[in-house]
This record gives sequence, structure tokens and C-alpha cells, in this order.
Amino acid sequence: MKETKKWDTRKTDYQERMNGAAQYIRNGKVVAPGDTIKVLEAVIRPFDRVNIEGNNQKQADFLANCLVKCDTQRIHDLHMVQSAVPLPVHLDMFDVGIAKKLDFAFGGPMAARVATAIKEGKLELGAIHTYLELFARYFVDLTPRVSLICAYEGDANGNLYTGFNTEDTPVIAEATKFRQGIVIAQVNKLVDKVTRVDIPGGWVDMVIESPKPFFLEPLFTRDPGGITDTQVLMAMMAIKGIYAEYGIKRLNHGLGFNTAAIELLLPTYGEELGLKGKICTEWALNPHPTLIPAIESGWVKSIHCFGGELGMQRYCEARGDVFFLGPEGTMRSNRCFSQMAGHYSVDMFIGGTLQIDKYGNSSTATANRVAGFGGAPNMGCDAKGRRHSTEAWLKCGAEFVSQDEYLGTMPRGKRLVVQMVETFGEKMAPAFVNELDACKLAKNAKLPLPPVMIYSDDLTHILTEEGIAFLNKCRGLEERMAAIRGVAGLTEVGLAAKPAETRLLREKGIIKTVDDLGIDVSRANRSLLAAKNIRELVDWSGGLYDPPARFRNW
Amino acid sequence: MSNKWDTLQSQSFLECNARQRAVGLVDAGTFTEFIGPKDRMSSPHLPLMGEAIEFDDGIVTGVGLIGKRPVFVASQEGRFIGGAVGEVHGAKLVNIVRIARESYDKMLAANPKLPEGKRPAVVISFDTGGVRLHEANAGLLAHAELMDQFQDCKGKVPVISVIGSRVGCFGGMGFVAAATDVIIMSPLGRLGLTGPEVIEQEMGKDEFDASDRGMVYRTTGGKHKYIMGDCNVLVADSIEAFRKALGEVLAKPYADLAAMRRIGSLEKVQYQLKLVDLCVKIAPKDSKDVWKYAGNKNPDALVDMPLDLFLKTAERLKIA
Amino acid sequence: MAKQLRELNFEFKAETPKDFPAGFLHYGVVGSGDMEVIIEKKAMSGAVKFKVVTPVTGFDEVWRRVLERFVNETGISNASLEINDCNATPVVVSLRLRQALAEIG
Repeated sequence: MKETKKWDTRKTDYQERMNGAAQYIRNGKVVAPGDTIKVLEAVIRPFDRVNIEGNNQKQADFLANCLVKCDTQRIHDLHMVQSAVPLPVHLDMFDVGIAKKLDFAFGGPMAARVATAIKEGKLELGAIHTYLELFARYFVDLTPRVSLICAYEGDANGNLYTGFNTEDTPVIAEATKFRQGIVIAQVNKLVDKVTRVDIPGGWVDMVIESPKPFFLEPLFTRDPGGITDTQVLMAMMAIKGIYAEYGIKRLNHGLGFNTAAIELLLPTYGEELGLKGKICTEWALNPHPTLIPAIESGWVKSIHCFGGELGMQRYCEARGDVFFLGPEGTMRSNRCFSQMAGHYSVDMFIGGTLQIDKYGNSSTATANRVAGFGGAPNMGCDAKGRRHSTEAWLKCGAEFVSQDEYLGTMPRGKRLVVQMVETFGEKMAPAFVNELDACKLAKNAKLPLPPVMIYSDDLTHILTEEGIAFLNKCRGLEERMAAIRGVAGLTEVGLAAKPAETRLLREKGIIKTVDDLGIDVSRANRSLLAAKNIRELVDWSGGLYDPPARFRNW
Repeated sequence: MSNKWDTLQSQSFLECNARQRAVGLVDAGTFTEFIGPKDRMSSPHLPLMGEAIEFDDGIVTGVGLIGKRPVFVASQEGRFIGGAVGEVHGAKLVNIVRIARESYDKMLAANPKLPEGKRPAVVISFDTGGVRLHEANAGLLAHAELMDQFQDCKGKVPVISVIGSRVGCFGGMGFVAAATDVIIMSPLGRLGLTGPEVIEQEMGKDEFDASDRGMVYRTTGGKHKYIMGDCNVLVADSIEAFRKALGEVLAKPYADLAAMRRIGSLEKVQYQLKLVDLCVKIAPKDSKDVWKYAGNKNPDALVDMPLDLFLKTAERLKIA
Repeated sequence: MAKQLRELNFEFKAETPKDFPAGFLHYGVVGSGDMEVIIEKKAMSGAVKFKVVTPVTGFDEVWRRVLERFVNETGISNASLEINDCNATPVVVSLRLRQALAEIG
């Protein structure tokens, strides 16, 4: 007799779990905050794949703090699949045994604890991903069974308003719910009618009003007061030597003071070079407060955001021509879509790193910190699936001489991937090294391969105070390494440079120094910044930007 | 950024270093530095502790003109060890005040009818956390000596404080500034005794959260000090705005300037004590409670208000 | 005993020397990660003399190279330079020295 195969075991399992929680769910889908731990114990099973929403910005911190308090007899050895682990509680989970395995994208301030937990055997690392890569795996082999998400508002039917900080929520909810998983949301406020339905109620099983609003980290706020004269100099080099040279219109900026300096030089130095309208018009970017002066001066046409930035909401809402607003007038960020935009639709990624090796591979990992990548590698790479062209992309491709080794005479464009570093960082830590600390980390934390943020074959330019190395113009590894040495200053890598060789590369236009670029170093000081402190950013915004207390200087 | 007077005027006061402030606060081309970098009078103590030194020990002293007044200037450099007062730094500061007063004595002896507009004045641009711990005894002594000099200046030489630099004016130097005749601040300037981090450390985060910079500025910043009466004149953050305010202040008769002091007479001390009583009475949780008491109906609006509007809107504290 | 402030001395001769045009110049502030310099004209048969006062140990060779390159790039000669350093990185040193020279121009 033929056995009848069951095709709905997931659904049955879902129902069983929900039955266990039913007694705590009242008034539609509402659970009292005090019942959260019981609810989690009812619906989560040992070895489950669980997602706690959290990235480098917003955090479902209330649910995380409840999960860690669950009975370890009932819940243990969870496989956490989540964007980031920036809160202490994310690692406490492994210390107490609630969780065992981790697949993630960004370590942030917990980078050192991740490394320690791995070494002590408390944490089994699946892999370090990029955001987009992890989201992709949610739909293949890392689909969460239970997801703990967060929103600004929720109603009794489960409808959620995630608004300005929508970020990762849609992708998590969709992956979980459409595989019959359980979605639990902490909301800042239970309301009768949500401002906008960002997540439909049908995808959400339980709504809990958290005692405190979810935690938000203003990660992309850089106080212009912290920008140094050196950063001003390098920003001038970037604008004149790269942005103007290639006519970069569509781009992403990594976070950091270097790119903040570029943003603040657009209305001054950029204006002076006559670049308005010719560069920096369309962005995939978080709402960086330091971009306010450029927006106000009419440089920017559009910005799509990965996430929201604390204090920028009112400003974004008042600049509807620039940001992506819903019909009701509030912005919606979306990390998945913005990462996709950053991968396929920008012509340049520029960002910083901790170390670059002599071959041009770079990483932010140190020997004892599993920092993760976040979104940088998806923008800091050549999108191989890209087929549309722009001037900047074509020019960079035309200069990419090694291309013919694979394509023959077939033309192809190339994304500009630029790393911007001072040759020596804080405490004289060299930015250029013969071997990345990531290699030591791989050994220490038993990783299958060193965590490299941007591989050399994707890197097209390196910008240091010494000059710009146009790696795309180099033929072969030897020439690339010579170009890297030529801008690596007095680091161990730079000291290996041969003056004659560097001179030749300058003649070929592969290295351009400050003098080659015709930049007057005496002008490289903070007075060139369009705003020199947070107060001036608020003034530029006409009082719309409301910076977090810790950034105020008045 | 260059030290040329013309370029300096439009610059942010907050951004300027000590020398730029000294040059820019007096009339164009009139500043002459005393014991400048060329004299290399740096700290004899710091090298023994392996600490970096500066040729001027973190303070620029000299003389310039505002109108026809010789103005003796001291300008502290907050970027060098937080503008802390060490032995040389302190001696330069004390002696610029002494020289101003001695000049006054000499000039008046030579011409008893010398109009007020030609008599010496002192301007101190504070950018300091107080005593330099590496040479604390000498630094503390300088504080006391400075107070003595101020006493000797009374009735003779007006002493004006300008505060709008990054470090602000804290520690013992907060007392010193309070003892001058007139205090000019920008909203970005801060004035206080114990620094925010130290209050938090001693009293706990619940009492004072030093990471809440909005609160720190609300408690020590120019706007609050203006409402409280600790700051006499509140100006925009530019060298020119400070220079003009100095010009206006120094155009007043000495008696008016002396009247602007916070201490220095029985009445003034009694007024300060009344402030203490008031504080006990209303037990403010935030500066905004005091602003409200002073008659500001919407104190929240004052926090981010542009300066022009603030000066028109803000009610300053007055107690009978 | 805590470590003491160190003094480094260097002397170079530019490949294509140009006389330092001013008599005396001071530039910079000894902030954290920054430095100041005094440049004085001095007859030294084309040479340049540096005195660096710094809390930093272990980077003497880096100092030598940064200063030597500054001399060769600018051609500065017949001058004495005194630097008070507070952990400035090579880029800051180069930038400040070049900015100091630009003050004269």
C-alpha cells in the first residue's frame, strides 16, 4: 500500500506552536509585555533557527532581552540568523546556552566578544555574510523558524508601521512567514490605526508593546567637529582626482570622517570646481547629516536609504523631492532594496578600511575581532550582472587594461571601488601591511578563510595622503603592487617602493600625487568645510535636523 | 588657516586657535605678542614626564588696540593639554594682568586726565579645564595670584572674559572668569566649575549624564549663562562678533563695567546667595525649569532657537 | 621613573636647494596628534637642521624619511627647524610643514 505523504508538516508544526501560546494572546494578536518570556518558551524549540531583528541601526532589543531570560531547559542551542550582533545581549545568548550557532553580517561593538565566544567553543560560526547575502540565504537554506522583529506602531491585527526605520523588517517577515514561520513584533506603541501598513497584519502572529522604544544607534552621524585637516586634504583629492575625473553621479559613501569631509566640501570646494550637477546627484545612502549642506545647496537629486538615522526624520520628510516618502508623507528605508541599488545602480563606492595588504585586499578585522562586513562588499565590488552603462562606468572599464585577458577586444564597464585611508591610522597603526590581521583572525577563530571586506580584483583606486593609485590602469599583479607601494607612504609596504618605479607610474598617470592633481595644500584646513559642527548642520537644515543629545554642542 | 586679520574676522571663534583669537580680537594689525614661540618659554616640567611641550606653553599673551585703548590680551590654547594652567602658562597669564595695571598706573601718573577710552584694559580668551595636573601646585598658585591681580585692577583696569572655544572654561578658571568684570560668550561657549565628566563620576549618571551633551550645554552653555546673568553679553560664533562686542563693552564708562560684575560688593554677594536660596526652593531638574521660572513660557523652544531670535525672546532671570 | 620627552636631531641637504626666504616663522598647535614648528633662516652652507621633540619612541626612521622628503620636495635650505610633536602621524607632519612654508608665500 502506498503511504500518503504529508505536505503540510510545517503548517501543522506552526499550529502546534501557536496553540501553546494561545492562552497569552488576547484582543486579536496582542500579548502583554509581561507574558513575552512565556510566549517565547511556547513557540521556540531547541535547535530552531531564530532571527532577532537588528542591524547597525535599529534593534528588537526588548525581545532579545526576553529571549535570553528564557528557561535553558526549554530553549537551547538555537541557530541565530540575524543581520548583526551589536548588543551585549546578543552574545549573552551564547554564554548562557540559549544559542549555539550564528550566521550574521555585522559584529559592530561586539566584534571582540564574537571572537572570544568562538575560541571558547560557546559559539559555532556558520559564516560572516554581507547583508544582501544573508537576506538571500533566508530564502534558501537559512529561513528563520521564528523571527523577533520591531516596529514603531502595531495594531491588534498585526499591521505594523516601521516607517523611517523600516530597514530589514520586510525581508525578515516575508522569508519567515511564507515558510509557515512565526513572526513576533515588539512595537513602540499599540495603536488603533497604524500610520502606514509597512508589514501586513497577516504576516505577523503577535504584537507586544515594549516598555521602552526600540534601541536606535546613530551610526552614520559624524560630527564635523571631528574632521581633521588631513581628511579635508584627502577629500579635496577625492573630489578633484576621482569624482570630477570620472563624473561620478550615482554613488554610495561608506561611513566615516573621510567621506563626511567629502560631503561637506561639495558646497565649497566642489562648487568652486564647477561640479554641481556633474557629480553626486543620485545616492544609495543612509540619511547622513553631513550631506545636509549639499542637499540644501541643490547638489542632490535623490537618495534611497538603507535605514533611518536618528534625528533626520523630520528633515527627510520635508525634502520629499530627494528622499523616498510614502503617500502619507513619512520616509521608508529598506535595507534590502537599498543594498540592491548599491550593488547594481551606483557607479562608485568609496569607503575606509583598517588594513590593506600589499596585493590590495582589505579588511576591518583585527587578530581578535570578528567585525563582519555589513553592506560594504556588495557595493565595494564590481557587479558582474550589470548590463546598463553610464559614462563613469564606461570610462573606468576602458581604463581597466587587464580586462582584455578575459574578454579579448570586447568592451565592458567597471564600477569604481575606492578605498580611502591615511597611511598611518590612530596610534600610528599602519594601514598598509604585508599580511592582513584577518589571516591571524582566521587562525585564532578557526574561520575557513580570512574575512576580506574588499578583494583586490574589485578594487580600482586607493586614495591616501600620498596620492591616488589608479589600480584599474595597471596591467598585472606586479604593476598593481607597485602602484599600491607608491601610495603606501612609510608603512612596511610603502618602504619597499622604488623611487624610480614610482616616478614611472606617475608619468603613466597610474599614481597622481597632490602636486600632480594641482591641489594647494595650504587650503587643506577645516575652514573649507560647509559646516564645522553639528549646530551648523542644524542651521543648514533650517532647524529640521534634530540631533541626538550626545552630538549637541550648544 | 592663516593668521591674517582680514580672513580671521569671518571665521568661527570656536575653530580659531589661541593666536588667531588674540590677533583677531583687537584692531587690525595692532597685536604684539609678549613671550611668543620665539622665546621658547615652554614648560620645564612636562619633558620629565614624557609629555609634549609647546613653545608658548599653551597661552598667547600680548597687547593690541581696540579704538584708542591699549588692550592686554591673554588667549588660552585648549588643544594643548586642554588649555590647562601650568607654571609658565600661569605666569604669563598673571603677568599680562599685572603689566596692564602697571601701565595704567604709569599712564595715569603721567596724565591724570587721561580719558577712559585711552586707558588699558585686559581681555582673557578662556579655553581651559583649569589646573594642569602635571604641575598642579604652580597652576593653583597662578589661580590665586590672578585673583590678587584682579583685586589690584579694581577701580582701574576693566577685565573682560571671552568664552567660546572648544574646551570652554572650567575648573579653577571658572572661578577666575566669574571674578572678572564682564563675561562675553557665544552659545557654543561653556562656563562652569566642575567639568561634566567629573560631576558624573562623583554624583552618578542619574544626577548628571555627561554623555548627554544637550543637557551639558543647557547647564553650562552660553544661552543658560546669559539667562542666569553669569554671561553679560551673548554673541554669534565669529571673531568679528566677539571683537565688536568687546568694542561696545569697552566703550562704556568703567562704572558701568564694574556694575556688570557678579561679585565684588556686599550687594552682589547677597544676590548670589539669593540665587542659592532660589535653587533650593524650586529644586530644578533641568536648566529649563529655571528658564521657565525666569518667565520663559516655552523653555524648550529656546534650546534650538537661532541667536537673533533668542536675544529678542529670552527672559533673563531677575530676583528681587 | 616615567619615560622622558625625546629629542631627535637630523641634518639634510636638498637635491636642488632653495633658500628659506623668511627670517622666522612659527606654525601649528601642539594638539593631540598634531605639532608646531619654528623655521629660522640660518647660514649652514645649504644644509637644513631639524630638532624634533617628541614623546614617541620607535619611529625615528620614519621621522628621518618624512623630513628628508620634505627637504627634497621643497628644496628648503639654510634653515633650522624645531618641531614640538604630540603623536602626529607622518601625514600630519608633512601637511603642517608644507602649510608652514605656504604661510610665507
